[in-house]
Amino acid sequence: MADATFELTAGERQLLECYESIKQVLTDHRDELPPFAERNAVKALAALWQIANGAGTHPGHIYDTGA
Amino acid sequence: MSYKFPEVDQQGTPLMPMDTPYWNPRTETLPREQLDALRLRKLRDHVAWTLANAPWQGRLLREAGVRAEDISSLDDIRRIPFMTRDDWMESQIADPPFGAVLAQPPEAAMRYHTTSGTSGSRPLAVLDGPKDWEWIAEMWCYALWGFGIRPRDSVFFAFSYGTFVGFWGAHYAAEKLGCLVLPGGNMTTEARVRQIMATDTTVVCSTPTYALRMAQEAQSLGIDLASGPVRRVLLSGEPAGSIPATKRLIEEQWGAKAADTAGMTEVGTIIMFECDHQPGGAHIIEDHFLEEVLDPATDEPVAYGEEGERIVTSFGRGFVPVLRYRTRDLVCRVPASTCSCGRTFDIYDGGIRGRVDDMKVVRGTNIYPRAIEEIVRRRDGIDEFQIHLYTVGDQRDEIEVLVECATATEGDPLLTELKRELAEAHEGLRIDVRLAERESLPRFELKAKRLVDDRTVWGSKGDRKVM
Repeated sequence: MADATFELTAGERQLLECYESIKQVLTDHRDELPPFAERNAVKALAALWQIANGAGTHPGHIYDTGA
Repeated sequence: MSYKFPEVDQQGTPLMPMDTPYWNPRTETLPREQLDALRLRKLRDHVAWTLANAPWQGRLLREAGVRAEDISSLDDIRRIPFMTRDDWMESQIADPPFGAVLAQPPEAAMRYHTTSGTSGSRPLAVLDGPKDWEWIAEMWCYALWGFGIRPRDSVFFAFSYGTFVGFWGAHYAAEKLGCLVLPGGNMTTEARVRQIMATDTTVVCSTPTYALRMAQEAQSLGIDLASGPVRRVLLSGEPAGSIPATKRLIEEQWGAKAADTAGMTEVGTIIMFECDHQPGGAHIIEDHFLEEVLDPATDEPVAYGEEGERIVTSFGRGFVPVLRYRTRDLVCRVPASTCSCGRTFDIYDGGIRGRVDDMKVVRGTNIYPRAIEEIVRRRDGIDEFQIHLYTVGDQRDEIEVLVECATATEGDPLLTELKRELAEAHEGLRIDVRLAERESLPRFELKAKRLVDDRTVWGSKGDRKVM
């Protein structure tokens, strides 16, 4: 069966970096963030997950980040 | 695997990536082999997640000896046991309010929703986290974008925003697209029609039944909807969105293009949508769902073009993992190539064609509400109808169709012609057609329930049972 990995554009790759970066922040620093930062980061991560998933990566589920 | 955005359209006009007709151009046009590879990987991940996190679904998998590492082809899905609504409900009753179906603690959720409860049964309750809720809207984006809805549109939702999930996902999808969203909850039909006209709304989301109801209201208010601003009507919630006669009527009365979608609360969102090419059916969102069509009696897969029950596995929502859920929906799957839109997602021809348990037997003849609607809606001037089953003399099944028609009177040829057409379509079965008083039949905003079964006994001679 063919490989299901996509060749991404530069813009898409950059968005995936954002996704990974926010995910990392929420994993490492979630408890330190003030409400406005933590809640907005969760909302942003939930949206960026759609890009990671739609781009054929393996994002899994991310409930441990609050998203 | 790469996707190149086309630089020009078929006429040679330069295109921007946002000009694409696809929400996700890459996955919606994936060759079948690559689409299957993507789905196989998602299936394995989903089984692993379910085993590790969802007590009830995980137990079903363990009892069947299913392990993620053993899934090497999509056919291996058949080793996974079915989930049924009854079993799910049993779990919900035993362990209220959600049953042992949650893969995360309830405090991690931010949305609570339920099934519509229109079937008369107790509703199922579900929870979603932020990522799942966003995904629910994402599925609707496939439908909105695929039907030609764009950021410049203003979208009116004729929907009572409650715990039934209904158009909630579509609302957030329209926001995501950048449309102007008009949430038309808690309004009378008249107020909705007036607001649609006053705000130059270009898209209306509603059930098929309610789209017709609004058209009737507009007529009685002297408003000509067909010359109004609405150019698209997005339908959901009832099979009627794919019944050609009903759809045609909606398109005529609104002067707009209509398209069908279908989903279910059990997966939180839509699973299929009709694209702008209107193939007379709905594309399955195959990069997020694995749909099987089985013979409901034997549980064996049926071929393309044959009717069967759809079984859904959903990859997106992890809060309540759904694997091989028996929907009881009757569908007929046909290849993607049936549509000229270029998507590689297969199609359910005619959308949801009915329910496995929709069929009624009247004096030995099978009756499907959808088939009756198809015949009734071909007739001009019928505002509403109801199928009524009853028992005569404590022993004989009877069926009648009550119709509301502003222009007809008793003995009108329309009634006799309709009676003849219904009989011809049902092996000569006598189906009485009676005129109902204006505004006497129920109107529906959500899922219409037009079949009333008042029989005290049912079944053929020698096999009769008390209801």
